[in-house]
Amino acid sequence: MVDAKRFKDEILTLLDHLYESQKDTMEETAQLMARCIENDGVVHVFGSGHSVGLAIDISLREGSLAPIHIIENADAVVLGTFTLEEFTDKVNKFERRQGVAQYFYNLYDIRENDIFFVISNSGINGVGIDFASLARENGHKVIVITSMIHTLAEDSRHPSGKKLYQLGDVVIDNCGPHGDALLPTNGIEKVCSVSSICNNAIAQMCAVRAIEIMKQDGYEPPVLNGNEEHDKALKEKYKGRI
Amino acid sequence: MDIRKTYLDLLKQKIEYAYDTQLDKIQKVATMFGECMDNGGVVQLFAVKHGIEFANELNYRAGGIAPFHKQQLADMMIRHMCTKDEVYKTGEIYNRPEVYDQLTSLYELDDRDMYVLVSERGNEPLVLEYAKRAKAKGQKIVAVVNMKYYEKYGGTLLDYADEYLDMQSECPDLAVDVDGVKAGQTGTTVTNIIAQMLTAELYKYFIEKHGSAPVLLSANIKGADVHNNGLTDPYGKRVH
Repeated sequence: MVDAKRFKDEILTLLDHLYESQKDTMEETAQLMARCIENDGVVHVFGSGHSVGLAIDISLREGSLAPIHIIENADAVVLGTFTLEEFTDKVNKFERRQGVAQYFYNLYDIRENDIFFVISNSGINGVGIDFASLARENGHKVIVITSMIHTLAEDSRHPSGKKLYQLGDVVIDNCGPHGDALLPTNGIEKVCSVSSICNNAIAQMCAVRAIEIMKQDGYEPPVLNGNEEHDKALKEKYKGRI
Repeated sequence: MDIRKTYLDLLKQKIEYAYDTQLDKIQKVATMFGECMDNGGVVQLFAVKHGIEFANELNYRAGGIAPFHKQQLADMMIRHMCTKDEVYKTGEIYNRPEVYDQLTSLYELDDRDMYVLVSERGNEPLVLEYAKRAKAKGQKIVAVVNMKYYEKYGGTLLDYADEYLDMQSECPDLAVDVDGVKAGQTGTTVTNIIAQMLTAELYKYFIEKHGSAPVLLSANIKGADVHNNGLTDPYGKRVH
């Protein structure tokens, strides 16, 4: 039986499992975020498709850390030189292409102490794998968020055969099922995806813990607080980087 | 106490509260969606700022229902019809009702469609223009607002809506106090969960009425592209 109640009950159970199983990886992530920000770094978040939702959730509003930078696929066209036709090609899909990562990397002001979240539920597509690889080659720490059940069940679409989880300094399993949909039915399909929900919960838990670590270190965390002057000063500090 | 656990416990309370207070409305809205789709319509989604997450959760989603379509300002950005700053930094674009004509000119729309309009405050001229135009055509409107923000900022979107859902966030949306620093938003996640509860109830509608439902697969499993194209191709450019 699929209905709202069943989804609500199962997502609450999944969130508990997520917390219990990913406590350590979330702690490592929060430590990396705190060290990065204390050293004037920026946290870049790259996610293809729906995965970019995590970045939206933890940035640009009251209560958010200021030095969060969202890397969106659409930037290739909006800020870059890709054509609309190249970007929306339904055969050679953008998020599955190789070689795009270097293009993105050159598009932004990325500095030594910056770190990267690379998020992909499947962890098998070209852009995310290239991006994580490139960030590591350039000496940045990479935090991967992926569904381990899904990624282990599918073949890599990258010529190296690698998957995203193999490239993370820290790998957080979002604990989502294969295919992302949570509820089985009497048919072949499953319904109700969970990756955005789990990813948001992970990001929020890491962010609040990172703020706590900064406080414990005696460093004032750069959190937007709705005060116009305060927020303007923070945005000015990271101008051109976020 | 682990600050992460404090956050998670609060998030879970909010999920339970959203279920308790919104279930009746979710069921009504799911039926509205199902009836629109049965009539050959597509559910059009338009969202303001962070509300885009609600639209993302319903549009072309793994384990979701096919006939949704998201109208997004990013489609204007990639055509260089507006700037990223107008959309994300200043939000100025939401004050310009004339953007409605520019944005909708990019899509193939049909009078059988209905609208879901997502706005915490329910007061931005652009989202109100969407509501007025849909209302003038006799199209159904579901508003998704945040009642605490809506009341504070004098929203009027509900004047046009046939039904509405409340995102239930606090104003401001800050769940935890970390040594004097307020942080930890729950609103988007609760909103995502409301969207998935809608998906569950919409699936139930299709199964009870037709015995099957047009459910999309994750694009990242073998065979998904063929399956998903089979569901969306009949709609041409009206979806995805």
